[in-house]
Amino acid sequence: MSPARLWGAWLALLDRKEDGLPLAMVRIFIALTVLMTLLDTLWAGVAEAAWIDVEFGGYRTLSANPWLVELLGGARPDVVWPLFGVAVVSSVLLAVGVGGRVTAFVCLQTFYGVVGLNMHAGGSYDELLSNALWLLVLSPSTATHSVDCRLRTGSWVGREPVASWPRYLFILQLMLCYWTTGLQKVSAYWTPGGDFSALYFIFQQPSWQRADMRWVAHVFPLTQFATLVTWLWEVSIPLWVLAFYYRLTEEREGRLRALFLRYDVRSIYAVVGASFHIVVHLTMNVGPFSYATLAYYPALFTALELRGAGDWLRAKLTRTAEEPVATP
Amino acid sequence: MPAVSTPNEQQPTPAGAAWRQVRAVLVALHCIAVISMAMPAPGGALRRSAWQDPTVQGEFEAWTDRLNALGAGITKDELEDALWEITKTWLSARSTALAPFQPYYKYAGTVQSWRMFVAPHRYPTRIEVAVREADEWRTVYVARSNEYTWNQRFFDHDRMRAAVFRYGWRSFRSTYYQFVDHLAREAKRDFPEATALRVRFYKYRTASAEEVLTHREPEGQYIFTRQRALK
Repeated sequence: MSPARLWGAWLALLDRKEDGLPLAMVRIFIALTVLMTLLDTLWAGVAEAAWIDVEFGGYRTLSANPWLVELLGGARPDVVWPLFGVAVVSSVLLAVGVGGRVTAFVCLQTFYGVVGLNMHAGGSYDELLSNALWLLVLSPSTATHSVDCRLRTGSWVGREPVASWPRYLFILQLMLCYWTTGLQKVSAYWTPGGDFSALYFIFQQPSWQRADMRWVAHVFPLTQFATLVTWLWEVSIPLWVLAFYYRLTEEREGRLRALFLRYDVRSIYAVVGASFHIVVHLTMNVGPFSYATLAYYPALFTALELRGAGDWLRAKLTRTAEEPVATP
Repeated sequence: MPAVSTPNEQQPTPAGAAWRQVRAVLVALHCIAVISMAMPAPGGALRRSAWQDPTVQGEFEAWTDRLNALGAGITKDELEDALWEITKTWLSARSTALAPFQPYYKYAGTVQSWRMFVAPHRYPTRIEVAVREADEWRTVYVARSNEYTWNQRFFDHDRMRAAVFRYGWRSFRSTYYQFVDHLAREAKRDFPEATALRVRFYKYRTASAEEVLTHREPEGQYIFTRQRALK
């Protein structure tokens, strides 16, 4: 393909428009996860210790501060607590959809300003949430299911189509996170040639355990299988990207495209990913990582697919509720 | 509304057409910025002192064996030196490539660092806190214990788990000392009769599945013992 045609295809991709439901769902889930991690850190008594400089009651010297904190005078209580408060309020406003991109920007800067103070006391979830907040700045995420929409149109559900490319950027971000973490799993315990005992030994690390995990020794082969599946799933993420491309161009022909569409490779990857997060959440305490990643998942589907899934779930629940109780 | 549509059938205004091009460039730059930074890099793990940890040395040994099985004829030290040089060169090139995007990472919060569970820590540490009362050491906190639970909500929070995990590595020594000072201030409030605080890490090799099943779990040792007077 010539550079001119490639550029034309890129422009056409960015011109695509769609229903804004997936972006609205991502907005709500990301905002709630931000709110949860902030309040949870405060409740545990960690916020003051971790995010205030040792000179003012924290446990360590905080020198490499985020730009906003530096601008306001450093990691002092009179700087950090107002930022924390604005982050909490803006995350609530973002969840209900007030203020559109401006609220997302304020939430991003204050959230990153606070959690970026102490990189020892944080995890990849902080970056995943910050990345998402920036993508929400770029997104018309309050076009539907928001107070903004209600005020603008008189309805909670917006009818105007929105640009599809912000949703594609969410997909790219999630794929990058998964794929590059897989590329970095070069340990002899993860990779072929070893005994695939990585997950077994990770479960034994006290840092992340919810409870004593020695019992997994009894199901060691299962952990070996899970290690292999996890590693293969992560390093093969480009196949997931390919599945999205095939879905986007499903009107075209091709054997591989037909195969990917017939077996819905995109959804298979999503189910494996979601299962992985649920298992991690149940067995390990890695903070809001599972929530943060799963908050991206609505972006993997179109509004039509999400509504279809919602209708299916509603029908299932209704049927269950209406089923007669067996009598002896 | 259809799930996906390709509108803009109407002729765009000159300003609209220009914006369409600018937007395409900006979105492309975003993609280049995040993909470039997400590419593998060891980050804070590129410290020769951290490479001396038995967990890292175990990885070098395993890879040396694998490479030699393929006929590489390399020693562990040679592999370590070669990796050190390759990583330094890679990081230098990466740093140059990322330089133009640094403001974007800093102000837009688009930092990419996805080193998650890259290897199991075969020699992890478990923090223990004790206070001295009436000339006796009394253990008050042990990580993940249901018996020694002082300040458990604080220690068990995911952010403090991440911090304490780091302080079990020598390279975080100075911050670990500050952390102990902080715990001493807390202990002074909670244990008014105590005369001293002791913090240390129990470092051990995690038991293999076979060792767990046959009840042959390896012994560890205490490291980084630090004491603070409370009176």
